[in-house]
Amino acid sequence: MSITLQHVSKSYGTEQVVRDVSLHVETGELFVLLGASGSGKSSLLRLIAGLLPVDSGRILLHDRDVTALSPQARGTGFVFQNYSLFRHMTVADNIAFGLSIRKVRRAEQRAKVEELLDLIDLHDCGDRLPTQLSGGQQQRVALARALAYQPNVLLLDEPFGALDVKIRAQLRTSLRAIQQRLGVTAILVTHDQEEAFDIADRIGVIDKGELLEVGAPTALYQRPQTSFTATFLGTANLLQARRNGTRVYIGDANLPAPPDTEHLSGQPVQVLCRPEEIAVSATRAEADAIGAVIGAGTVESISFAGHLQRVTVRLTDGSHAPLQIVLTPGDSRALALTIGQTVWLGVLAYHLLPLS
Amino acid sequence: MRELSPRSLPAFILIGFVVLYAGMLMVIPFLTILYGTFAKGLEPIIATFQDASVQHALLVSLLLSVIAVAVNALFGLITAWVLVRHRFTGRKFLDALVDIPFVFATPIAGYAVLVMFGRGGWFSPTLFPIVFAYPAILLVKIFVALPFVTREIQPVLEALPPDYEEAAYTLGASRWTTFRRIVLPEIRTALLYGIVLTFARVIGEFGAVSVVAGAIEGYTETATTFIFRALKDRDNTGGYSVSVLLCILSVVILIVMNHLRHRALDQR
Repeated sequence: MSITLQHVSKSYGTEQVVRDVSLHVETGELFVLLGASGSGKSSLLRLIAGLLPVDSGRILLHDRDVTALSPQARGTGFVFQNYSLFRHMTVADNIAFGLSIRKVRRAEQRAKVEELLDLIDLHDCGDRLPTQLSGGQQQRVALARALAYQPNVLLLDEPFGALDVKIRAQLRTSLRAIQQRLGVTAILVTHDQEEAFDIADRIGVIDKGELLEVGAPTALYQRPQTSFTATFLGTANLLQARRNGTRVYIGDANLPAPPDTEHLSGQPVQVLCRPEEIAVSATRAEADAIGAVIGAGTVESISFAGHLQRVTVRLTDGSHAPLQIVLTPGDSRALALTIGQTVWLGVLAYHLLPLS
Repeated sequence: MRELSPRSLPAFILIGFVVLYAGMLMVIPFLTILYGTFAKGLEPIIATFQDASVQHALLVSLLLSVIAVAVNALFGLITAWVLVRHRFTGRKFLDALVDIPFVFATPIAGYAVLVMFGRGGWFSPTLFPIVFAYPAILLVKIFVALPFVTREIQPVLEALPPDYEEAAYTLGASRWTTFRRIVLPEIRTALLYGIVLTFARVIGEFGAVSVVAGAIEGYTETATTFIFRALKDRDNTGGYSVSVLLCILSVVILIVMNHLRHRALDQR
């Protein structure tokens, strides 16, 4: 069951929370809407579920226009951040709720509940009350409840937001497995880029109600089209440059222009270098041997992030903000950097963005 | 603040004062009534409760109170729902308005009913009488206890996240089913508590009732107006007996309220 949005907009009073969003999510796809809090991502999800009426635009579920339908008639499974399990009902009754509304026979309801309890690995918890479960278990029950009546699509609003890091990682692995096994089309809303990278088939980046970019996780990370996406997904070093002919000029340095960037020719651009794509060398000669050299700089800070070393280097010409660089244990041992040391920087991979 | 040692003199005086205060205000009057009731043996008490006008007064009190409770339960629930779940101009004003019966002297409420529905009043009825008849008693009983159900349910509804109902909607439940199966179980204890409070309030109402009912013996006389008349007529045993009955009822209500309060705390 595919999900299609056509020019969907929504405002609360004078504040526009969703701006002219168009999107197509394929059957069986897990699509992640990624944005900061207040970006409009949850509102968009609620519009799809029918919990909010759209101001303009159309919503289609498997090519059927559901824009005017109530949430009850849309048949979407919705998982809320705070689980929203019915506290006075047992886990089994929670899971069976959607089935009981649809007047499914009791024996059939029981069988479905058992099947889902197995699926979420909570076989013996059917008789318990939600308050007797941990947060992670409650969220699994919420997922089972949303899946029980075999909804057309599954909508998850920051489903792991209230859980600790370890449980979150486990749950998203099991969510991905369940979603793939059932082949259900899903949209998951999150502000957590790691979560998005981990489970998404495709990611949509949303900011101020606008769907800025849609793409596969690696494509969005390596070749974003906007500086917002570049900086929102991971750490980004953005260098002001100009593309002329076949070269990109950054201050005194110049690099070969990446292919397919002719449309940016003659324009001021930004060069995106991810921290792990910048090579640090003690001498110019070494830097030349590794990659395209962008200049010399001074080490401003060194810190450890687990097994990696984070280094900031300010280019000597002072034209840019300090560059964020990540070094592997091998590189950091070999270089043995000290603060104030002069180093040469080369880039292994880079990407051009229009100057926004 | 540092707690006083229970054996110290200031603590002894403080505790003694509170016990004396509570005793003088609550226990001694009750014991006096109890003494007055049984002072002349059981016979006058039995005679009182066999008196047709007393039985009628008790029945009127009970029936009208039950109806007033039912009306207040329903409208209190709707009012709480509207105040919590809807945003509209004048909502805060309505919210403040709900408390008016708490601050109004009840005879004023009775007087307002007289002015509105009495002879020559704006809403003077043509088909059946309102004042000096059952409808007026019912009206004032409803009025004096109006806020209880609303005020009990409101905080519980406010604490219930809207997600809770939305979850039911996405699972296919209609608004009514959602209310019945999801919201009602959550507010049940608060609703019961509100109902018990309302009943306690309306069964004992005297001020407004005495203004609008006319206390016609065997017709509009209620338990409380009977007590007033009995004491005026120097029928002490009659007045005391009905008073004891109402007191016992109050104690039962108190026990039920305590039980409900503990249940609500357990649910949290």
